[in-house]
This record gives sequence, C-alpha cells and structure tokens, in this order.
Amino acid sequence: MSSKINGHVSPQPCPHLLVFRSRNGPKPFRALQDCIRVKPPGGRAAIRREPTEVPRCGTCEESSRSRLYACVACAAVFCHAPLLHSHASDHSLSIPGHEIAVDVDRAELFCCACGDQVYDRDFDAAVVLAQTVNATATTSTSGSTAMQCSVAGSQPENLRKRRRVDYRPWEPDSGEHISRGNQSIPLLDAANASLVSSTQQPWGLRGLNNLGNTCFMNSILQALLHTPPLRNYFLGDRHNRYYCQQKNGAINGTKNSRLCLACDMDALFSAVFSGDRTPYSPAKFLYSWWQHAANLASYEQQDAHEFFISMLEGIHEKVEKDKRKSQSPGSGDCCIAHRVFSGILRSDVMCMVCGFTSTTYDPCVDISLDLEPNQGGSGKSSSAKSLNSFNVEADCMRPNQNCGISTLKGCLERFTRAEKLGSDQKLFCQKCQVRQESLKQMSIRKLPLVSCFHVKRFEHSSIRKMSRKVDRYLQFPFSLDMAPYLSSSILRSRFGNRIFPFDGDEQDASNDLSTEFELFAVVTHSGRLDAGHYVTYLRLSNQWYKCEDAWITQVNESIVRAAQGYMMFYVQKVLYYKESENQGTS
Amino acid sequence: MSHSHKLVIKRSSMSRPPPPPPTTNKDQQHQNPSLQEINIKLIQSGEKERLKELLRERLLECGWIDEMKALCRAFTRKKGRNNVTVDDLVHVISPKGRASVPNSVKAELLQRIRAFLASTAD
Repeated sequence: MSSKINGHVSPQPCPHLLVFRSRNGPKPFRALQDCIRVKPPGGRAAIRREPTEVPRCGTCEESSRSRLYACVACAAVFCHAPLLHSHASDHSLSIPGHEIAVDVDRAELFCCACGDQVYDRDFDAAVVLAQTVNATATTSTSGSTAMQCSVAGSQPENLRKRRRVDYRPWEPDSGEHISRGNQSIPLLDAANASLVSSTQQPWGLRGLNNLGNTCFMNSILQALLHTPPLRNYFLGDRHNRYYCQQKNGAINGTKNSRLCLACDMDALFSAVFSGDRTPYSPAKFLYSWWQHAANLASYEQQDAHEFFISMLEGIHEKVEKDKRKSQSPGSGDCCIAHRVFSGILRSDVMCMVCGFTSTTYDPCVDISLDLEPNQGGSGKSSSAKSLNSFNVEADCMRPNQNCGISTLKGCLERFTRAEKLGSDQKLFCQKCQVRQESLKQMSIRKLPLVSCFHVKRFEHSSIRKMSRKVDRYLQFPFSLDMAPYLSSSILRSRFGNRIFPFDGDEQDASNDLSTEFELFAVVTHSGRLDAGHYVTYLRLSNQWYKCEDAWITQVNESIVRAAQGYMMFYVQKVLYYKESENQGTS
Repeated sequence: MSHSHKLVIKRSSMSRPPPPPPTTNKDQQHQNPSLQEINIKLIQSGEKERLKELLRERLLECGWIDEMKALCRAFTRKKGRNNVTVDDLVHVISPKGRASVPNSVKAELLQRIRAFLASTAD
C-alpha cells in the first residue's frame, strides 16, 4: 500500500502497526478520536482524556518532559527520551501489543518499538476533521460530510492529465519551407560568424525608443521579450503573423488587418531578434494596444503593471479560439499568455465560530504583494521589536538576514499567512448561515511557468483622493524556491505530519515540475508617482543588462540587487538556460 | 458510549497528584516553587500553550526551524530515507538545536515566564 498522493508516497506500516490493526478491528483508533482536542478552533490538535487533563508519565510522574506518549492499547501515558530513559519503550517491551502510542501534544501516532512515527489514514483524517470542524460536533456522520465539503470539495475543474508526447527533432514541412524562405532573415552566416563570440551582446538585446512617456510599455516589453517560454513560442513561429492576418483578413473582408496583439508581438520579436542593434520604435504595438485598452490610450505615463495585465488580456481575447481546448485561464490551454503566466491560487476561509472552512480556486497571472506597513522584520509585539533592536547581528541565525529589511520571501510569507479578517469584513458561513468573523489563508495550488511578482508601491486612496508611492527597498533573491508557499506545504504546516485525503490521488503534471525558480527580469521604478521612470534589468547568460528605453548597458549584479524592484519575473529553473561563456572561437 | 474495544481507561495514571517536593522548611517550599509546580501552573492556565506558540514563531523568524530542517535533510540523505527514524532525528539535532537558540529568544521567554509567575503569585 504505497500509493502516491499528491506526489508523496504513503508510508508503509511497520510490523507492529500491522499486528495492532489485525488485533483491534477495522478502526483501531476510533476511541482515540474522541480524545482529540483542538483549541482554539483551527489550532493544534492534542490528545487529552479530559479537556483540562495535565498529562503525566505513569512511571516517573514527570509532566514537563518534551515528549509524552499515550499507549493506544491501555491509555497509560509515558515519557520518551531515548537517551535518558524511555518509560514508553519500557512499557512497550513489558506488554506485547502495546507498542503503538500517540504523541499527546502533536496527535501523531508512534511505534515505541521502532522508535518512529507511523500513520493511519482514518486517524489522520479524524485529526484533520477535528481541526477544521468544531470539536463539539456530535455525530461522526455530520462531521464527515462537512469534511468532504470543506477540504476535499472544490476541485479545480481545469486540472487534467497532460498528454505526454514522444520527442521527435523538428523538421519543417513543405509549407514551413516556403514561409521560411520568404520572410526569414538568416541569424548567422559565414560573414556574421563573429557575432556569436562571447564579447558581443546576446541575441535579442535591442533598445526601444520612447514614444512619449512610454517607458512603462518599453520596460514590460523588454521583460516579455526575454521570458523564455514566450520567446521560444514566438521565435519558434508558433504564431505566424502573416498566416494569422491572412486568415482573419479573409474572414473580415476588411483592408485593415484585424487587431491581434499576438501578431504585433510576433512582429516585435522578429524585429528585436533580427540582429539589428539600432533602437526600435514599437509604434505599431502601441497603437494596437491603445485600440485594445481605449481608456488608457494617451501620452500620459501609465502603470507598467496595468499595462502588463491589459496586454495579457489582449492576447487572450484576440487569439483564435480553439473549440477543443478548455477556455478557462487556469489550465493555460487557452492562449500563450496564460500558458506562460497563469497559476492557480487557493483561498481557504475558515469561520472562527464553528471552524467550517470553504475553499476556492482562482487563476492568477501574477501575485501582488504588499510591503510591510511599518519598518522592521515581522516583529508584531513591541517587546519583540525592542529585543530585536539590540545585538541583532549576533542573534540572527542566517548571516545575511537583517531583521530590519523587507524581503520578497517575507512578503510571500505574509501573503500565505492565515489572516484574521476584521469585524467589518465578516463573511457568510454556510454552516452557521450567518456572517461571521473569518480566518483567511492563501496558498498556491499550481505554479505557473513564469511567476510575476508585483510589489504594491502605488497606494491610491479614493477616500482621501490622493495617491502616494512607497519607496521602501525590497530585497529579492536571484533564486527562489516556491515550495513553502504551495497549498500542500501550507496545509501541512496547519495540520502537522499527516496523510492527506485532500485533492485525492490526482496526478497533476505540475507536481512533477520543480518548485525552483530563477530571476530573469526586474522592472524598477524610480522617482515620484507623477514623474517617474521605468527601467528593466535583464539577466542573460548570467550577465545583467540595464534596458532604459533606447539604451542598453551591461551592469554589475550589485546594481540590480540595490534597485527598487516593482515587478520581478521568475521562470522555472528547468526552463532557464545558462549559456556557456565561450561560444565562438576564442 | 460503550465500545467493544479493548481500550481500558486507567485513570490511576492520569490523576495521581504529584509527590510533594522535598523541602526542609515551609518558607523554602513557599518561595521556590518546584519545576513541577511551575509546569502545572503554566499548563492549567493555558500559558504554556501560548508560550509554545510564541516560541514557534520566534524560532521560525530567526531561521532556526529552517536550519533544523536542513540538518534533518542532510542526515536523511546520508543514511537513506528508509533507514531514518524520528528518534534518530531527534537525537541528531537536539544538541545543536539546544545550543543554537538565540539568546534574545531565551530572554524573551524567560521574561514572559517570570512575569506570569509574578502575576499569579499567592
């Protein structure tokens, strides 16, 4: 019995557990489930005979030991400290059949003979149930129904098994041969062989002229031009603008080519990767985008993030719909924009009165993060702050962790932290049938190929009719592991070491992908809200390049680290190619 | 609730009161409560649980938990996933773990405990 659940192998029972199960019927831990105590609702699960019980070792009377175990067979409690003395082990050795015990403070099963944790699906399900439903739930049937609704209920409808295709090296077919001949420019030939040498700038680096406060657009375009899966898609001719225009022009019958932002992107990629280093004016692109986002069409400075979102929407809308594929953004099958950027967020809302949790899944193309409201790490109480202020260096574990600096990881931790919604934000609880105060926790159900993090630096207050910019520095890593922010990790930390019934045994292809990401583009903003300037830093072949409208210069990574990040783009590590340094003859 | 189950409730091990601490005179007993007594007070008032949560938060913030996880992973990689038990891991990380708790965390918890005892002193 070692089936894969959510990518994790279900552990094999030890021989003592097998014997115990065989002797005590199909549900050997049923009685133990009545002793599960959770307080407050949604907090940690403990095992207590009565709610006010103070567990004490039956042999030495100690209640202050760190590990106390209750024997499941006879309910006697013993301490367990294998180096000093383990009265739990003594007990298990003295009476056969008494090897299985439960940690009274963690509600985790333990085999005293093996000295290791063991798992029982029903017991773990009961603990999860107790932690999600009020401990005063009377019958088990009502409890299990609520469990099914709350935890295993809402499956994202768009997660399907991805078909695996055998690898075959690409060969152009006859149609592709012709189009290659007509509209393609050789990237390298004998005369230009020197372009490949390591002293030259990498392919695809080309300045973009500012057309009148359009640095917001240029900065995002530079990032997109070097988003690996997006670049590969367009350079791989997956959206041929000639073919697309021809097909849709014939349908529309109009002289003007039909609006398609993907076609404009294709043209942009062709121009930027052509090898021509003179700055390019993305006028056609700007015009097309204005037609799509008419409300933003002006020569005023716009928000780069708003442009990014609107652009992705534009590509999604205008790309030809394939009826066979799912249209929901979460699967990424609808268009290249979502295929690259769309992930799925999970939101758990728990009623603080009865513990009922409702779970929803929403696709997202990026994650907007708040900066901390006040200076300093995550010190909540004033006493913690004052303790942090002296001798910080000596006390912090990590050498580069400065308790005062905001970090991207800190923002992500706060994003996935359980948050108590204020009394003015009561949400409707299905069980109580009335609005109650709730606890909300976000986590990532499915990671996108490219994670875009948007730092909320612009605060717009409609009440006070003013906006302000938050200049505080945010530290961001070059390599980022998203594992701690996944739904599986967040739930694991909520419930402890358990076998999880949630999500069933679904094999989601994204589980096979790693959770490690590499930074490849940073869009920065400098200046004020009304008079600011966007600059993009690109990481190519492990070198950093500053793209400021028409000017591209190579910069040291320290410049990038010190920059004021507004949007950070991370790509899955497996898709990030670190080219070797010496390519040509040298 | 009757179960045809073999779970026998042994109340004796649950509610036996602690043996009185060895003391020479009454004043000593009153002024210096034993570790046992302090522990009972902390548990019964719920303060111990609160302190544990606070400790978890502080150890998470300063990276102690991550460091212990890394130690466990390194050990598991060396021994092989199927050759490691919970007891092994506890044995391996306990010395380093105890030694590397930041002084500020110890100080804060000690301060909290003292404040609690002072507030509940008879």
